[in-house]
Amino acid sequence: MRALRAELSKLATLPFVWLAVAAGLIVPTGIAVITSLTTTPGSDTGFSELAIGVLGAIILGVAAIGSEYTAEGEESAGSRQITTTLTAVPSRVRLLLAKVIAVAIATAVLAVVAIALVFATVHLLLGPDAPALDGDTFARATGAVVYWVLMALLGFGLTVLTRNGIIPMAVLVANSSAVTVTYLLAQSIPAANYLPDLAGMRMFTTVSTSVEIAPLTGGLVMAAWVIALLIAAGAVFTRRDA
Amino acid sequence: MLTFEHVNKRRGARDILTDITFHARPGRVTGFLGPNGAGKSSTLRILLGLDRPTSGQALVDGQRFASLRDPLRSIGAVLDGSGAHRSRTGRAHLRWVARSAGIGNARVEELLELVGIADAGNKRVSTYSLGMGRRLGLAAALLADPGALVFDEPVNGLDPEGIRWIRLFLREQAQAGRTVLLSSHLMSELAETVDDVVVIVGGRIVADGTLAEVTGNHKNLEDAFFALTGDRGAR
Repeated sequence: MRALRAELSKLATLPFVWLAVAAGLIVPTGIAVITSLTTTPGSDTGFSELAIGVLGAIILGVAAIGSEYTAEGEESAGSRQITTTLTAVPSRVRLLLAKVIAVAIATAVLAVVAIALVFATVHLLLGPDAPALDGDTFARATGAVVYWVLMALLGFGLTVLTRNGIIPMAVLVANSSAVTVTYLLAQSIPAANYLPDLAGMRMFTTVSTSVEIAPLTGGLVMAAWVIALLIAAGAVFTRRDA
Repeated sequence: MLTFEHVNKRRGARDILTDITFHARPGRVTGFLGPNGAGKSSTLRILLGLDRPTSGQALVDGQRFASLRDPLRSIGAVLDGSGAHRSRTGRAHLRWVARSAGIGNARVEELLELVGIADAGNKRVSTYSLGMGRRLGLAAALLADPGALVFDEPVNGLDPEGIRWIRLFLREQAQAGRTVLLSSHLMSELAETVDDVVVIVGGRIVADGTLAEVTGNHKNLEDAFFALTGDRGAR
């Protein structure tokens, strides 16, 4: 519990995390404004914005562990925080669990606020054409929250392995916004539909590829990927020198 | 009491540490001396559970660091620099460390005052000088009033005033009954501060005893050190 409070405190006082929060709120809301004004509303209105806004969640997850390894030159006062972290919480399993829970809590809160902003925006701009706030929409919104949390943990797990946030962040953020490599891959290789991001997107968007995956199945496939990654990350983290 | 028992560390094909065995006792300042690259930091990192020994063990009051229930109350450590992330403020850094040990924010303010960086508490660590970073690291180490203190090169980067301050501080801590272990490659800075001396060269302990024992017939600790390390030339 103390370890969790320490990790939440770390997240709340890291400027980069607030950048992630800003990105997670501004990007999907901004896109919602643009799409509402320029395109015809469809079944994914509001939700496709969240599929891109997930980059805020990814940055948050990566920053939570990448910041432990930020190093600087000899002349600066800043240094690798991981030494302080591991002397405060020597059990690496407990530390990693505390971090995973802290990231999950922070990302879930971020996702809920982002969804509220995006749907407020589309309702304000589209009025009756916006998706109704019915049970189906709420189920998909819940799926979006789960997707954000799992994507954050995906970034987190990869960064535990690399000990540097730049590569996982670049790959995952690019894939979720600019060039959707996994989506292109799925066009030619059906198995690529079971990659974590594409499978997870079934929870809240209507992806149209050759393979149909039910929302719950997609969520479970993504969760399985993330759990496997976190177990691998935990095995490496508990064994290697800090 | 800090105990090293036959600690060995291999990295790839290289032996970093070979059969490191010594104690640091309560109420005394133990100087862990050796040239750069001798294995001082590696030894301290093994004590703190940061690195894993290939064989042997390092114990804090008879327990491995990783199994301590309340690590910050057993041992406070200042390794390289501040141990703080550059973009966090000094105060925020101390606060999260305090949370991890169930310590309140009032204690954080006490420590900021004690180490003399209260005015910079709301500034980001990236704006700190090396000396201020050291003081911040020291504040984090002292938060839970630990029974033992471990410092890696505590006088590095400090101005003469800071060096004097840390010397007096270390003596006070030992007089209060704490175990103080500090590593250094600067002999002349330490002779007045330490009670016991352990000398490490090339990953092996070459001398271990009281200051008088290790100095022996040499003029001072510095001469004894260079005789032991086989480096008689200018530093």
